[in-house]
Amino acid sequence: MKTPTRSRMPERMTGFRMPESMTRSRTLRRILLATTLATTALAVARPAPANAAQTLGPVTDEIGVIRIPKNAPIQIGGMWVLSGADTALGLDEKRGVELAFKTVGGKLLGHPLKLNAEDDQCNAEGGQTAATKLAANPQTVVVLGPACSSVATPGAPILWQAGIVDIGTACTAPALTAPNRGPQYAGFVRTVFSDSEQGKADATYAREGLKAATVVTVHDGSPYAQQLQQVMADNFTKLGGKVLSQEAVSPNDVDMHPLLTKIASEKPDLIYFPLFTAAAAQVLRQAKETPGLEKTVLLGGGSLASAAFIEAAGPSVVGFRIGYPDISADAMGKDYPNFVAEYKKTYNEGPISGYHANAYDGAMLAMKAIEKVAKTDSAGNLYIGKKALRDAIFDTKFEGISGPIACDANGQCAQFKPSVLEFTSADPKTYDLGKNPKKIWPK
Amino acid sequence: MSGAQLARSQPRISVGRVSPVDIVLWSLRILVLFVVFAGTIGAIVKDRYTAAQWFDFVMFGLTIGAIYAQIALGYTMVYGVLRLINFAHGDIVMCGAFAGYFVASPLDRSGFLTDHPVIGMAAILAVAVATSTGIALLTERIAYRPFRRVAGSGPLIAAIGVSFFLEQTFRGMFGSSVKSYPAPAWQRSTFEVWGFNVPRIDVLVIGLAIVFMAGLYLIVQRTKMGTAMRAVAEDAEAAALMGIDVNKVVVFTFVLGGAMAGIAGVFYAFVYKQVYFFMGFTPGIKAFGAAVLGGIGSIPGAMIGGVFLGLVESVGPSLFLDGLGIPAPYQLRDLIAFTLLIMVLIFRPNGIFGERMAKQRA
Amino acid sequence: MTAVEHGRAGAALAWRRAALVGLGFGAGALHLAAVGVLLMLHQRWIVIDTLSLGQATVLLLAGGAGAMAARDADARLARGALAGLCATLPLALLSLAMDAVTLQPIFIVLTPDLQAMLTLGMPPLLAAPALLLVGVAAGLLGAALRAIPALSRALLPGAIAVLIAGVFQELIQLMLQQYEGPVGEARDFVYTWEGLTQQGAVTVFVVVTLIAQLAGRAARGRVAAMEPARRRQIWAGIALAAIVILPAAAGSYIGQVLMLVGLYILMGIGLNLEVGLAGLLDLGFVAFFAVGAYSTALLTADAPNALMHLSYWAAMPISVLLAVCVGVLFGLPVLGVRGDYLAVATMGLGEIVRVIVLSDFGAPLLGGAQGVLHIPKPQIGSYTLSSPVALFYLTLVAAAIAAFIAWRLENSRLGRAWMALRDDEDVAQALGINLVRSKLLAYGLGAAFAGLAGSIFATMLSSVYPSSFQLLISINVLALIIVGGMGSLPGVVLGSVVLIGLPELLREFGEYRYLFYGAVLVVMMRLRPEGLWPSDVRQRELHAGDETAALDAGADLLPARE
Repeated sequence: MKTPTRSRMPERMTGFRMPESMTRSRTLRRILLATTLATTALAVARPAPANAAQTLGPVTDEIGVIRIPKNAPIQIGGMWVLSGADTALGLDEKRGVELAFKTVGGKLLGHPLKLNAEDDQCNAEGGQTAATKLAANPQTVVVLGPACSSVATPGAPILWQAGIVDIGTACTAPALTAPNRGPQYAGFVRTVFSDSEQGKADATYAREGLKAATVVTVHDGSPYAQQLQQVMADNFTKLGGKVLSQEAVSPNDVDMHPLLTKIASEKPDLIYFPLFTAAAAQVLRQAKETPGLEKTVLLGGGSLASAAFIEAAGPSVVGFRIGYPDISADAMGKDYPNFVAEYKKTYNEGPISGYHANAYDGAMLAMKAIEKVAKTDSAGNLYIGKKALRDAIFDTKFEGISGPIACDANGQCAQFKPSVLEFTSADPKTYDLGKNPKKIWPK
Repeated sequence: MSGAQLARSQPRISVGRVSPVDIVLWSLRILVLFVVFAGTIGAIVKDRYTAAQWFDFVMFGLTIGAIYAQIALGYTMVYGVLRLINFAHGDIVMCGAFAGYFVASPLDRSGFLTDHPVIGMAAILAVAVATSTGIALLTERIAYRPFRRVAGSGPLIAAIGVSFFLEQTFRGMFGSSVKSYPAPAWQRSTFEVWGFNVPRIDVLVIGLAIVFMAGLYLIVQRTKMGTAMRAVAEDAEAAALMGIDVNKVVVFTFVLGGAMAGIAGVFYAFVYKQVYFFMGFTPGIKAFGAAVLGGIGSIPGAMIGGVFLGLVESVGPSLFLDGLGIPAPYQLRDLIAFTLLIMVLIFRPNGIFGERMAKQRA
Repeated sequence: MTAVEHGRAGAALAWRRAALVGLGFGAGALHLAAVGVLLMLHQRWIVIDTLSLGQATVLLLAGGAGAMAARDADARLARGALAGLCATLPLALLSLAMDAVTLQPIFIVLTPDLQAMLTLGMPPLLAAPALLLVGVAAGLLGAALRAIPALSRALLPGAIAVLIAGVFQELIQLMLQQYEGPVGEARDFVYTWEGLTQQGAVTVFVVVTLIAQLAGRAARGRVAAMEPARRRQIWAGIALAAIVILPAAAGSYIGQVLMLVGLYILMGIGLNLEVGLAGLLDLGFVAFFAVGAYSTALLTADAPNALMHLSYWAAMPISVLLAVCVGVLFGLPVLGVRGDYLAVATMGLGEIVRVIVLSDFGAPLLGGAQGVLHIPKPQIGSYTLSSPVALFYLTLVAAAIAAFIAWRLENSRLGRAWMALRDDEDVAQALGINLVRSKLLAYGLGAAFAGLAGSIFATMLSSVYPSSFQLLISINVLALIIVGGMGSLPGVVLGSVVLIGLPELLREFGEYRYLFYGAVLVVMMRLRPEGLWPSDVRQRELHAGDETAALDAGADLLPARE
């Protein structure tokens, strides 16, 4: 061990060490000087920032023009959660987009379509990095995704700063398309409903469909679940019901028995728990074993519309209900069944989560808008004005497979029709939105 | 300059006087005691739960506690012999649960598990134990053995690396979806004791856990290998000089720890019905806490620590926090567990049963 | 035993070792195939229509086995070939097994696609021997490269350059894309959107080989003449210059990645004071990071639950101060706890902070699951530091200041007191070191750097969510200082670049990020337990350890901890 000494003498003043430390400082100084010079030079020589008025070929645009050389691909960014526990959620949406590209033959205006999908890990810093990477690519025309609102919150402003529109495919936080969302979100739209509508619909079902007088809500600390149960609880109270308590678990909890026993002591008519797969399956399964909850109805959220959930919950899934946008043939776009058939053919399995249709519609929205504004010059190069594209996306209206798509001034493009679905079989292979789970409300 | 001079320039803290440190520690004690008492009184006053529900809380706590205890045994034995926090031990539990799943699932589908529960369970446990023991030995050979002579945090980092590697390997091979363990009818039934309903699976898990742990205790206390193990844990160099093959002892330790992990994995999966690649992480950390709680290196300590932790986690939120009117008490379950752990470390650094190790060695 | 017999036994042993080395690499290849890495790599070209990354990996594994096996003087090539054969054997068997039975219901990645990759579309009975043949060839090449230095000098630089250009193609293209003109044309010549073109690969190979030959001849004499310490300094200087210049040249994405690296460097420097100098193993370090982030958020944000609306520059010092306070408070209860117990206690404290931040109980103040949004960016005059590059330079300045402070501390009286504490607490106390004060200062100062990092993190994201403060961050920081080299400042930088920067740059393989991360930790600890850039003191200690190890080699299976 070293003996502590008060003075710093030995190391610094020993004679033979001098020359080395001197050369070191000279080298360092030289490197520092060169570095400073180079940095300054580069900072000065950097290309102009992306969002200034620009004219390229036949197109002039307020915030910039993208030039896609002949035969080069149209690059479309994507950011979803593609690793970790929620992979199925993001992968399902990515597949929705891939299928949308496939329906147009992988080509748009004679250029191949290329999807640059980034993993955002469903957290803020992952989203920031993914968005920065997509924004750094000057060829990124538009970005699809994310699935998580905590990604969109930092991600969308970064993209819009580079003049890129972000089409959210499963991020449902109300704030993202609220009237006071701020100019940095002007480039954000979404083809999925907002939690404020889902929560309201679930409360309405609880009061009117189930005639429930009391409810206990459970969330898992994720922004999605916390927000949704809060909206539901507020609306439930507004409709004359009583919220007995608002509980929470952590997403990795396995032992829900004590919590459910506590809830049983409050004797609610309904337990509302819009959790993610693993925790929701535990609550569902253990609720069936908890004395005192025999008559209590269980209601989950849209994140559970997946084969993976049936697999995780096992036999207890039969009869379990979830609030979900209406996907029956009359409410859903008429092409939805064809889409599902195509999905099965391409990936050898049915849809693995609940938001593929929204992602598909997001991609369609992007492509329709690109077709509207893109101009080709005589040499076959393609030009897209960024501001023009943004306006075109806000203007485009069409019948999507998840329902009609038309954006309002705050970027809310999906029309929400509520429904409640009930699972009918515990075999994951039978998962088929509309059959298992099948629609039970509104009748 | 010499140490004596330094000593003069900086007065040593005296133990007798009340220092700011003591004040902080005392206020911490008072705060925790306040929460416990005020919460308990609040819960009693509110009188929300029936006796049957309190019984259920205890039962749930004992069940998860029995599983924690079994996992904790692996930590405690490895730490005792190698002074290594085997961070990957929770993932070895996961490996066992996965192996069990691939046996249990077809057995259940064919109806064998319902018709021959004893043979079926034995087969599941055997495969799980074989797998987790094998993987424990492999990790020991590949990742830990080279570190025997390395001091410092290197081994801990290697163990963390092994943990990630095992999790991601299983995710890659078997997918990230949550798989559902079968639930044959005989497991779901309950029977009545003194007017309380008791789930059969809970009793089975607790009972078998006691049997296995007692067996382990006998192995460590009575067999030659167990004696050698205790000798190495006491003083490895002296043990080596006495002619004990340290290498053999370490392998033996990992075999015992791996076997207990496999059993714990199957029980865990049968009670909570889910297997997925990340399932071992949280119980692993909790069980390590339990091992420390009981006094790491001590086998009865790990058992008691596990059960105690399980009980506190299950009963605590309803008893202490709910009584104080704190919203969503079960979200704070980990807070209770970790506070308990820290309190034990602060006031009994050697754990409930441990030797005086934290302050002397390590 | 005669000398001949002795030699024969030695040779047999060497053959066995070659086969074992090969099988070891083969097991690695099998693992990569079974977890899906191989297939994912196969879907990426290095050279379009010629060589996929997956194929290159198999070749590299077989070649590496060949090179490893060819370490003795005799029969090098033959042993290399054997090792190459053994390295591809498991994959060949897998291919045959997949042909015989469907394994996909259990092992989800053993798909027809993987089979197609392993067989190249040939019938398996033909493909398996072909694969083995490829393995033999790669093993031979590997052995030859090792046996003949001139050959490796001629081939390796070019091959490595092609590999790097192929693996990092996305990144390099992203950097080049902002430039038009000649740079753009060069890019179009070398790359398509999916990888290197064939002519591009040849060009890169030829150019790099030429440069390497020329530069090698010019520099070899001078570099060899230099003493190692000086060589290290020059490398450090170059690396530092690269870190400083790169974001300005390469744009916002590199800036963003380096910014994350910078934040981890800051935290690493802080934790280094605690673990590296004072020997206080801390797994709850993320708590200080969270305190810094949340204080900045609550002091500046334009949100309903914000306490104040200060400017960033006013909030930052307060955040750091708060982090210091929490650090001291955090240290107080665990003063008497030592070693691995301390790791557990601090991990518990870190988790407690996370649970409170997330909980509904703390939500009225801290925002709960919804976090705190609308945190403003820092401003200098009228200029807003909003781009990742600008924020990177802020981080860089902060890290430089932190490094300077840490460096001064290391040589100060306090630093020496910490080191004494690390080596032996009881002796340190006997020497008159005030344990309580030294320990609390270590926690407090370490927390200060983490708090600063947290503060920058909050303004970088403009929002904070509890999910950003997981145990994983503490583990990452600890891992990076140990991988970098305990107690060494350059080690912290190197560790952050390797463990944080590299995975971010290889985002496209993000699915397997933690698989590689885990493997790197284990391999690193095996090959260089003292870290990539150990501090001088530490290196001396470990070498002293080597000597004692050599002395009592007979008992080398004993556990040894401090």
